[in-house]
Amino acid sequence: MTVDTPHPVAATGRQPTPPLLRVEGLTRHFMVSGTRIDVLHDCTFDVSRGEVVAVVGQSGSGKSTLLNVLGLLDEPSSGAYTFDGVDTTSLREGRRSRLRGDGIGFVFQQFHLLERRSALANVGVPMVLGGVPLLRRRTRARELLEAVGLGHRLHSQPHQLSGGEQQRVALARALSREPALVLADEPTGALDAASSTMIMDQLIDQSRVRDAAVVVVTHDPKVAERADRVVELVEGRTR
Amino acid sequence: MLRSLTAGIVLAFAGSRANVARTILSCAGIVVGVGALILVVTAGDLGQRFATAYSEANAGRAATLEVSAFGTVTDLDSFEEDLGRAGALEVSVYNRMESAPPLRADDEVIRNTDIVGVDAALGDIRRINMTRGRWFTEADLDSRAPVLVVNEALADRLGDFGDVQIGTDHWADVRIVGVSQGSTFNANQYSAYLLRAPSSGEIVFGPSWDPEDNSLPQPTYLARVDPSDEAAEEMFSGGVFTDRLLSASWRWGIENEEDIMVYRTDYAAETEELIGYLSLGLIGIAVITLTTGLLGVLNVGLVTVRERRRELATYRALGASRFTLFVAVVMEAVVVAVVAGLIALALSWALVAAGGALIGRFVWLPPDISMAVPPSAALVGLGSAAFVGLLAGIIPAIRALRASVVAGLRE
Repeated sequence: MTVDTPHPVAATGRQPTPPLLRVEGLTRHFMVSGTRIDVLHDCTFDVSRGEVVAVVGQSGSGKSTLLNVLGLLDEPSSGAYTFDGVDTTSLREGRRSRLRGDGIGFVFQQFHLLERRSALANVGVPMVLGGVPLLRRRTRARELLEAVGLGHRLHSQPHQLSGGEQQRVALARALSREPALVLADEPTGALDAASSTMIMDQLIDQSRVRDAAVVVVTHDPKVAERADRVVELVEGRTR
Repeated sequence: MLRSLTAGIVLAFAGSRANVARTILSCAGIVVGVGALILVVTAGDLGQRFATAYSEANAGRAATLEVSAFGTVTDLDSFEEDLGRAGALEVSVYNRMESAPPLRADDEVIRNTDIVGVDAALGDIRRINMTRGRWFTEADLDSRAPVLVVNEALADRLGDFGDVQIGTDHWADVRIVGVSQGSTFNANQYSAYLLRAPSSGEIVFGPSWDPEDNSLPQPTYLARVDPSDEAAEEMFSGGVFTDRLLSASWRWGIENEEDIMVYRTDYAAETEELIGYLSLGLIGIAVITLTTGLLGVLNVGLVTVRERRRELATYRALGASRFTLFVAVVMEAVVVAVVAGLIALALSWALVAAGGALIGRFVWLPPDISMAVPPSAALVGLGSAAFVGLLAGIIPAIRALRASVVAGLRE
């Protein structure tokens, strides 16, 4: 693990809190046509609430695989991953889904908004899965879209929105259940410079407001500069 | 579990609404299949109700026996008493006059009227559909004038019933209390029921009113027995009912078994059985059609699950469990199928209503039979639609569960 910038907790003098997520000796390999391909080796690091961490590395270094494991979409081959005090390696599928829905928000490079649904409906999906009643769902979705500056596009469908607007809808969706952790996979990869800045501003601002940890996978040095810490992956190993 | 189930259902509805083209495409096959099923069940139900109504109107309710005595019955009261002892629950004389007396209205004589002497109990034995007035009551027995119920053709001929007489050896005023609905077979023929009463007894059981006719009087009765009574199985004498009746025949003067003819007249059960077999065959065809619809929905479901890998993976990433996703995909198919079922129901309803209006012009329909889709057909249609949706949704749902979330998100 490489710490390029001082830890915010130390910098601000706040009381240290236990890390939100801890990865210890994590490995992930895949078998392809009988050949073992090691993607992650012995990764170890942790992230606290309110912290913004950038994961950087070359293509094929294992960034997305790491993000999938952190997001409970994939399971490590070995090692430990503790999220919010829960050892996730022994969890069953249902519990993993519940933990993912309740505690983790995703922002994808390609937005992954549901076609033919309004921005309001898209933001509401995680709340549907969380059993939030309809009226509260709609109110909260509206508030979130207004917070990211899309109060005037509530009923627009994804194809009616620009790339930057779509990513803001995706950000609002990621925050809709007030997750402890936001995982962003190249969130600015499909955006122009102005939109990238706006998205990163909002991602960091909204996360800070909600005291959520943010892990951003990025190629963009400008995005990495905005993070409190940078974790570099080199051939599947954290540095 | 409940949260996952609810979320699955909400997502299913949202998915169906968002993908209208897919929904319509999936609907088509089921609309045809369910429509066929609803129409077959409706036709079967109508056929059975029509057969029952027709049999009850023309041949009596289950189980009606016609009892005829050839020769002179010396004591009609004892004979009727013994009909009861033999198992009859209701008895009515049913004497169709071979040569009925003429009627006269406004000094114009009307011949060739088919007159049947009956008791008020005939209304319990047969279904008498009245279009005007009423059927006979006990109070009519005290009438000084013979009491008639006429059919529609005769009613039209008689006008306002103000001055109508029956001609025996003299012209006697009659009282017409009601008009019964005619069937297809006697729509244009004049016919009337004459109540057996002190004022009309001689007409009902008297000799032929044709001076040339020397045949002996032949009293005929309709007797309704309990359908579960073994006497109900009587077919052209020689059965339990005849044996019971003849056991005291010395009381009323006919002792030969050959001089008593008993047979069962109602036939609704046989017709219903026949319609049942016919319906089964048609239901088989409808089920085949429905299966084709099922395969259509299944096909669309499988294709869309493949096309929706990214969408389904997104749901998983946002916290949907496999169970939620399973429910969502299955419920989408069920929603589509039920929507198709509702469309099929509406189309069937319109078709039956239009068909009913058309058929009603050419075929006699009992007034209490309406041409409409019965609730049973609607239930069968919607139930089978939901079942088909369930079946057609399960395989795509299993496919959706097996798909890799990570691979889906990369698409």
